[in-house]
Amino acid sequence: MRPFDPAFILKSFTELLPFAGRTLEVMLLSVVCGTLFGTLLAWARLSRSHIARAAAAVYVHIIRCTPSIVLLFIVYYGLPVLFRLATGIRTGYNGKLIYVTITLSLLFAASMCELFRSSYSSVDEGQWDAAFCCGFTPIQTARLIIIPQALTAALPVFCSEIIALLKQGALAFTIGFIDLMGETDVIVARNYGAHGLETYIALAVIYWVLAIAIELIEGFFEQRAMRGKSIPGRDGSKWN
Amino acid sequence: MELNLPFLEKTFILALRGIPVSLEITVLSILLAALPAYLMALARLYHVKIASQIIKVFISLIRGTPMIVQILFIYSLLPSLINAVAVRCSSSFNVFDIHPVVYAVVVFTLHASVMLSEVIRASITTVDRGQLDAAYALGMRQQQAFRLIILPQAAVEAVPNLGTLTVNLFKETSLSFLMTVKDITAIAKIEASYGYNYIEAYVDIFIIYLIMCSLIQLVFYIVEKALNHAR
Repeated sequence: MRPFDPAFILKSFTELLPFAGRTLEVMLLSVVCGTLFGTLLAWARLSRSHIARAAAAVYVHIIRCTPSIVLLFIVYYGLPVLFRLATGIRTGYNGKLIYVTITLSLLFAASMCELFRSSYSSVDEGQWDAAFCCGFTPIQTARLIIIPQALTAALPVFCSEIIALLKQGALAFTIGFIDLMGETDVIVARNYGAHGLETYIALAVIYWVLAIAIELIEGFFEQRAMRGKSIPGRDGSKWN
Repeated sequence: MELNLPFLEKTFILALRGIPVSLEITVLSILLAALPAYLMALARLYHVKIASQIIKVFISLIRGTPMIVQILFIYSLLPSLINAVAVRCSSSFNVFDIHPVVYAVVVFTLHASVMLSEVIRASITTVDRGQLDAAYALGMRQQQAFRLIILPQAAVEAVPNLGTLTVNLFKETSLSFLMTVKDITAIAKIEASYGYNYIEAYVDIFIIYLIMCSLIQLVFYIVEKALNHAR
């Protein structure tokens, strides 16, 4: 075994850092697509139609039971085949970014569906009646009263789901996508497996910093959303 | 669809053999993590100096880095570390004799201890602090109060979160193929590699995980109902 070389951590750190953009790019794309699809699912889950409700519930259950890496492979190997059968066009296995984004969006949408449903339900039903008495239309009620409250309730979990997404994105290296994790794999392979430990430390630090940064941003928005509220924060437990 | 159905069926049967391995890693990790998780939760609840700060950083680190990075890190650190110790103690212990499941259990125990400590902490805070004071007023010692009053109530509250934790952990054991553990994923992947039947193999893994995770959720649901009924 080669001796542990701390200088190598710094070296791989500078080599890896440019690829953080790639990781963040995938993360942001998936957050946007996943949130849109998740909103649709939550809407189906709360609708009056039995079929829509059941379909959304089954989708969420299936996603919750599937390991991310398995979904990634099914999307990566299965989607081009389905696409070819449907349209007759051969796509090949290029454009890995698209497959990774689709996978992560599918995963994220399921969490978003559950999150939006629970935060929507967390707003008291009586608020609809109160707004109705004040002469608000249903759309006004939703836009001005229900959604701002539901969003505030959803914020902490939304943040932790984004971090979960960031971490799941690391699996993309298994299909050869070059992001932070993929580049780490390349660096380790280039050194014939030597200094793997140092490279992984650099990688872990980058992910850790990204996760902390996301938490800090969430904290800022939560503070803003909490302005003018008398509730002493979400952690008001009597044990502290 | 051009699915190779005979292969699908054959691999499905083969991959079923991986279930005990995945379950073993999941259950062992949760059992091993239970005590450290409980102590970590208590240290944070009582704001123990220094310890609670260290635990906070540890939790943030484990939650802020991908599972796969933790796996690769431990899998490249532990063997050489054990080897170095063995060489120093001039024992004839061969590091290659260690079963890969051991490494998997180490990684997943680390992960589970963090997740479990959060579950335990949350469930204890759901019990009203007044119950502890009432127990003191009845002359109970702290240990008694926890054992007899707080923990039974907290345990009931923790069941749904424990179910989610178990399902998530079970799902994440699918990554242990990276440590050459022969679990569900590894068996199916090896079978697929002979004839490039990857879609079929992953459909098999998908079905097995779907069934297993549904079963785990069902078990926790039954336990939850039974406990609520008993109250």
